[in-house]
Order: sequence, then structure tokens, then C-alpha cells
Amino acid sequence: MPTLTERFTKGGSPGVNVERYRTIRTVVLVAVTAVAVGGFLIEIPRIQILEHTARNLYFHVPMWFTLMAAVAVSAYHSLRFLQTGDLRRDVRAREAALVGVVFGILGLLTGMVWARFTWYQGTNIWWNFDPKQSMAAVQLLIYGAYLVLRTAFDEPQKRGRIAAVYNLFALVTVPFLLFILPRQAPSLHPGADGNPAFSDFTAPSMRWVLYPAFASFIGLFWVIYTQRVRAAFLKLRLHGDTD
Amino acid sequence: MREPPPLRDGRQEMPADTVEAIYDTLWATSEIPTRAPEGIERVMLAEDKLYVVLAVVLIIWFGLIFFLLRTDRRLDTLERELEDRIPEDHTPA
Repeated sequence: MPTLTERFTKGGSPGVNVERYRTIRTVVLVAVTAVAVGGFLIEIPRIQILEHTARNLYFHVPMWFTLMAAVAVSAYHSLRFLQTGDLRRDVRAREAALVGVVFGILGLLTGMVWARFTWYQGTNIWWNFDPKQSMAAVQLLIYGAYLVLRTAFDEPQKRGRIAAVYNLFALVTVPFLLFILPRQAPSLHPGADGNPAFSDFTAPSMRWVLYPAFASFIGLFWVIYTQRVRAAFLKLRLHGDTD
Repeated sequence: MREPPPLRDGRQEMPADTVEAIYDTLWATSEIPTRAPEGIERVMLAEDKLYVVLAVVLIIWFGLIFFLLRTDRRLDTLERELEDRIPEDHTPA
């Protein structure tokens, strides 16, 4: 009788390597903690208007890098699902997209708070349809629609195929909505037309926290995603269905 | 009150030497609001806006907690379902 793990890893199919999961989980949790502590304690250059909120760079920007990593993982598994028809690929695509959307929502909310007390200080504005924010919101709606689309089908293979095709098209919109379009619009966001981009103003000392922050939050995505995939695989075995 | 210098069309030319130089070209001559902050800003702008960072970190923390609790609920459902399927005589006493 093969064990659960053996069954899922037979023939190179996408099971969960629990040993590896546990190792990475421990490393990631320590790293995220270190980033949070370093983010508050390490000295940064003072800039008018930004002041201490420059530290949000360590927390807000990794949310969006994590979203991009998550939807790339999701699209990869969608592609593999179209090639193999293995429902576990479909499960992975859905979980990666869902966890990615959660990070995206956190990115949008943290951006709103940051903007409220810098761009819109003294104006009591929380949302002013800045192109960068609007496009980011549209991006989240596109991935929200992916999750809603899945609920419209009862047959797992059909649901998987249609959702996978949609997911691949959704990935194509990411560079346009998050980078190309907002950078051509009059946005207050760094990197937009007339504003210095990240590399122009980030002090070298901040990169010691920023780069580990990218790695840590993407790692945190991976931990949560793998955790959910494990639960979803159990559900798949019990029901023979993905959703 | 001095007007800020007009911006030229298109991209600003960027003196790439220091952080200060970049921001001086944009903001050194513009008016900084001097009105005393009211309401929520009285809290958030204190300590050189450090509480904005705290708010951002808390949003991420609570967002992740909320999501973890949802995963927990899914595991609860799975556990109940598995228990229903285990035959009576295999249940530990």
C-alpha cells in the first residue's frame, strides 16, 4: 500500500514534499520576523513628506512582488494542467491565484494608507483614482474574476480547462496593468512619468532590508500556498473534485 | 506665498547624485502645509509618521490572520468529513 506522499509523487505528478515544506517554513518565519524588526530599527535617510513612511517600502512593495510571483506560479500550473489534465495542477493554480489575490489586496490597502498620509496629507482623501492604484485594483478584479469563473462549472475537467485558459490570458495583463500603463499616466506613484523610480531614490542602506523582504514575503506566500495545497489535495481525494 | 517652479512637459531631468538633490528639485520650493493636523492625522503624523508604518504592518498582519483562520475552517470541514467515513470499530476508544 503506497503512502499518501508516494501516491502523489508517482510519475512526477505534483505532490507536496512535506520535509522540504517544513524546512522552508521555519526559515521563512524567521526571515519575515527579521525583516519586520529590521524594517523598524535600521536607520534610514530622512526625506520630506515621506519621513518614516519610507519604511513602508519594506512591506508595501513586497506585497506586489509576491502577487506577481503568485500569479506566475498559478499560470505555470494552469499551463501544465492543459498539457496533462491532472486535477492537482488545477488545484495548485487556484490556490496560488487565491493566495496571490490576498497579497494583492494587502498591497492595495497598505498603499491606500501610505498615500493618505503622504500624497493626500491634509486633504482627507483616501482614494483619488491615481492611475497606479486604479490599474492595480483592475488587476485584482481580473484575478477575482478567475476565482468566480471557476464556480460557474460543475464538471472538474471542463472547469479546469476554461479557468486555465483564462488564467493564461490574465497573466499577460499583469505587466501592462502594474507597470506599462501607470508609468505613462500622470501618477503620484514612484516610477510614474516625472517621478523618480525605485532605483533612483532608495538609499543603499535600505536595500539590506528590502531585498530580504522580497524573498521573505515570497517565501511566506509559498508556505501559505503549500499549506492550502495540502488541504486541497485531501479534499480532492475525498470528493474527486477540485472546488 | 511663492509659486512652485513650473514643471516642463515630459520627464524631469534627474540629477542622480543624492537623494536630497532629487527631492529638492521637486519640493524644496513648494509650500509645506503648516496647518495643525486634525482628527486621524494628529495620530498618524506624530513621531515623523512612524504610526503609518505601524498601520501598514498591522494591515498585513490582520489580513494574514484572517486568511489563516479561513484555512483553519477548511481543515475543520475536512476533519469532520474524514471522521464520518471512518468505520465505527476503527475509532480509538
